Amino acid sequence: MKLELLNKTRLRLAALFKRRKLDRDLEDEVAFHLAMRAEKDRAAGTDAKAAGYAAHRQFGNVASVKERSREMWTFSSLEILWQDIRYGARMLRKSPGFTVVATLTLALGIGANAAIFSMVDWLTLRPLPIREPQQMTFLAFSRPAEDFNDNFSYPEFTEIRKQTTGVFSDEAAMVLNGGLDGLTVDGKTQPLICGFVSGDFFPMLGIKPYLGRFLLPSEGAAPGADPVVVLSYRYWKSRFSGDRTIIGKKAAINGHPVTIVGVGPPEFLGLTPIIEMQAYLPLGMAVVDTGVSRSFLTDLKSRTLLIFARLQPGTSVTQAGPKLAVVGQNVVQQFSRTEEHGALFAKPLRPPGIITGQNPIPRVSALFLSLAGLVLFLACLNVANLLLVRASARQREMAVRAAMGAGRGRLLRQLLTESILLALLGCGVGIVVGLNLTRAMNSLKFQTQWPLVIDFRFDWRVLAYAFGVTLITGIFVGAVPALRASRENLREILHEGARTSTGARQRLRGVLVASQVGGSLALLIIAGLFIRSLGSVQKAELGFNPQHVLNVSMDPREIGYSDQQGLAFYKELLRRVRALPGVQSASLSSAVPLGEFVGGDDLEIPGYKTSTGNPQPHAYCSGTTSGNLKTMGICLLRGRDLSDADQENAPRVALINEAMAQKFWPGQDPLGKQFTRASDPKHPVEIVGIVNNTRNIQLYGSFEEYFYFPFVQDYSPSATLQLRTEAPPETMIREVLGAVQSLAPTMPVFGVQTMTQALHGFNGLLFFEIGAVLAGALGFLGLTLAMIGVYGVMSYAVSQRTREIGVRMALGAQPNAVLAMIARQGGFIIAAGLVAGLFAAFAVARMVGDFFVGVTSTDSITYVGVSLLLSAVAVLAGYLPARRATRVDPMVALRYE
Amino acid sequence: MKEKKENPGDLLQGTLDLLILKALARETMHGYGVAEWIHQRSEDVLRVEEGALYPALHRLELRGLLSSEWGTSENNRRAKYYALTAAGRKELAAEAEYWRRMSGAVARILQTA
Repeated sequence: MKLELLNKTRLRLAALFKRRKLDRDLEDEVAFHLAMRAEKDRAAGTDAKAAGYAAHRQFGNVASVKERSREMWTFSSLEILWQDIRYGARMLRKSPGFTVVATLTLALGIGANAAIFSMVDWLTLRPLPIREPQQMTFLAFSRPAEDFNDNFSYPEFTEIRKQTTGVFSDEAAMVLNGGLDGLTVDGKTQPLICGFVSGDFFPMLGIKPYLGRFLLPSEGAAPGADPVVVLSYRYWKSRFSGDRTIIGKKAAINGHPVTIVGVGPPEFLGLTPIIEMQAYLPLGMAVVDTGVSRSFLTDLKSRTLLIFARLQPGTSVTQAGPKLAVVGQNVVQQFSRTEEHGALFAKPLRPPGIITGQNPIPRVSALFLSLAGLVLFLACLNVANLLLVRASARQREMAVRAAMGAGRGRLLRQLLTESILLALLGCGVGIVVGLNLTRAMNSLKFQTQWPLVIDFRFDWRVLAYAFGVTLITGIFVGAVPALRASRENLREILHEGARTSTGARQRLRGVLVASQVGGSLALLIIAGLFIRSLGSVQKAELGFNPQHVLNVSMDPREIGYSDQQGLAFYKELLRRVRALPGVQSASLSSAVPLGEFVGGDDLEIPGYKTSTGNPQPHAYCSGTTSGNLKTMGICLLRGRDLSDADQENAPRVALINEAMAQKFWPGQDPLGKQFTRASDPKHPVEIVGIVNNTRNIQLYGSFEEYFYFPFVQDYSPSATLQLRTEAPPETMIREVLGAVQSLAPTMPVFGVQTMTQALHGFNGLLFFEIGAVLAGALGFLGLTLAMIGVYGVMSYAVSQRTREIGVRMALGAQPNAVLAMIARQGGFIIAAGLVAGLFAAFAVARMVGDFFVGVTSTDSITYVGVSLLLSAVAVLAGYLPARRATRVDPMVALRYE
Repeated sequence: MKEKKENPGDLLQGTLDLLILKALARETMHGYGVAEWIHQRSEDVLRVEEGALYPALHRLELRGLLSSEWGTSENNRRAKYYALTAAGRKELAAEAEYWRRMSGAVARILQTA
């Protein structure tokens, strides 16, 4: 048996290459036989011609013999496939209209899927470009109330590292100061995001620098020591346009001299998602005016470190668990981490990087993949229907082929090959579509000062996904018509010719239409909910007036200004700007509402008891100068505004918002009450005024507790100058920048935008807009496909019934009655689809209800509105062909066919 | 792919295979030679449709029971010669034994009936 198989394979392989020779051999063998036989007969006295005939007669059917032999040594399935492909390609070429429409329809579906998947790929699948990324983790303490806390102090880091050498092969720490630092090269300063990392960071990652070197393990252990910096590849490309002589160049970080020693590899964007880490400095350099405590290397309470750890080879996070829990307990006791009740644990570092808090990415991914899948489903239905129509047209062809001896399986294969071929065409075009979509997404400009990277790529995973989706599409699209076509009663078709479609086919078409209506309804409802969410945040009561406000952000620390210099600079800048004509008021703020810089502090409030298990009282805050309320249009409800008299050494004062008043002093008068900030426990803060609630951190949910303190009493070098202008704020930009330049020519200004533009940032509208645009685009695509589909099916169904309609009208039926008849059937199908769609939408919306803001997942306006819209579209798409049918001249209809 | 059923000829497929193996047991032969051998030995009782011989030869070759070689025939023509392989001999022995038992059994049944 084995031998046979081997022989077969050998012969068949030979056959593939030596097809000609084998054919000739077969030919020769048969010819030899015939010649010998004829010769023998001739020798016996028959004449030559008769002998030849006799030989043939005795031999039998030469062609059939050859065919049987040939079949034996061919890879018949492969060859049949090739035959099918060639035949299919011919059929597609023969009807270019159909091919183009079907290809484009599928291309839209497959392209949308590939594009969405490239997003998902980047956010969840593409491994971080480091050595053995599956071993990388980061450490955190679990918390009962929140998700976890991943901030550690340096002494804690060294202690943990000492106690976990058996668990991890490498451990490294990184300081993320949460702000931008200034990199000065050749007298020009630009803000960038820096990571301050311990010396073992790069060895742990196991990556190679593109140029120069990375930080050495010995670097960074002492404050301010080892002034070197490594740039990211992208930053180096964009700022220094790939200048290789940059290595060894003198530069300055926040005014402190450093040397550029290396450039990172191109694909490495850092371990944080979405935001690119643009430069790396030794951990000890974090003391150079980055806002990190100067004593953070020894301070037990300065918890600004993230700890990354690489598991020992062959161990898993679960195996490391018990050991870490013990170490965690030691650390909690040794360093009195009071707020933690949970255990120390290692969290796998998964793409796209370290995420603190709830990770919404898997669910967002699943949702958008499903929506894209739904679009493809609709596209498939359309094409399936087209194929179904073609299948009726090809009934005769199929019947003839079947009559010639083609088995049902063979016909099915032929049809499936054709539909997969079609899907592959769609895949090809779809990938081009998808590539362009991702390119468009990659080049989106966002209202942000941060180095936001969107890195969608068409890597092999995306291509594999697109290909897989294509195969499923091809089989799905082809299976329905194929199964049906090959099941037809041959004799009947051959006998009668393709005339009227059978009842079963009508029913199938009804199911197609209903699915189409249902699918697009579900899609549109989800899109509708996204759009309504965006609408609700757009209409959100801000509590301040964003019109006519200009924001200009800067950070004097980036060019090495001390706090005194910075304060003096800001004071003088305010004075000059306030004197500009057209400026109604000007003020400084350490954090703009809904901006990217968010300040907050834990509070100690006399008389306010925290219920057990809840975290300490906390409020968001910003430092502002006088005039802020006027600039932002915030109302002082009671008490007094901050004034220029609230100097650095004056008693600490603050304005609080209503939410804070209600939360911490319910039923009391907060004016004159005091609280202390965890960051400055020595100076109690007195509440001098209460202002209305404003949207500061996010555009939805309840208002956060918020307070404003005098800018000078807790200086923040990074600040935004805000102006309320008479004219449109854009017109003031030049004068304001001029004022900055005249005061400090090298001062980098990194955010110049109007307040209305700023609302589109990260914490503002950005994600709502992305959600609405993506879902809306998919919904629109779905609606278009459904419209075309319903129209197509109804047109065809009506055209199939032209004869019947003609008969009815010849017998006296009124056009309206005919119309009503068609409408009844169409209406029933559409209604069935609507009901199914409503249920589907409801199910999906419930699963992702928390993505929607300002609307519930059962928002009746969306459900009813979209249903009405879709039924209107469906009815119209069905009405047009129906009306055409009633215009048919009965005589024409009767002669039809 | 499963192989197509052979056309039902004058002979059962198994019989034809057995005859071919037997024909080649003594000496190498070309297809025509095998056909002639069968005619002569069966005294023209077994009328092989000669064409059917070739697919059978090729199938046996595929099964490794025969080997083939191109050579020159007695009258100087190019001809394909088939020879029995070791596996072919084994098969012949087994098949012949089986056939003897079968025909004996059939003969007994016919006698008693």
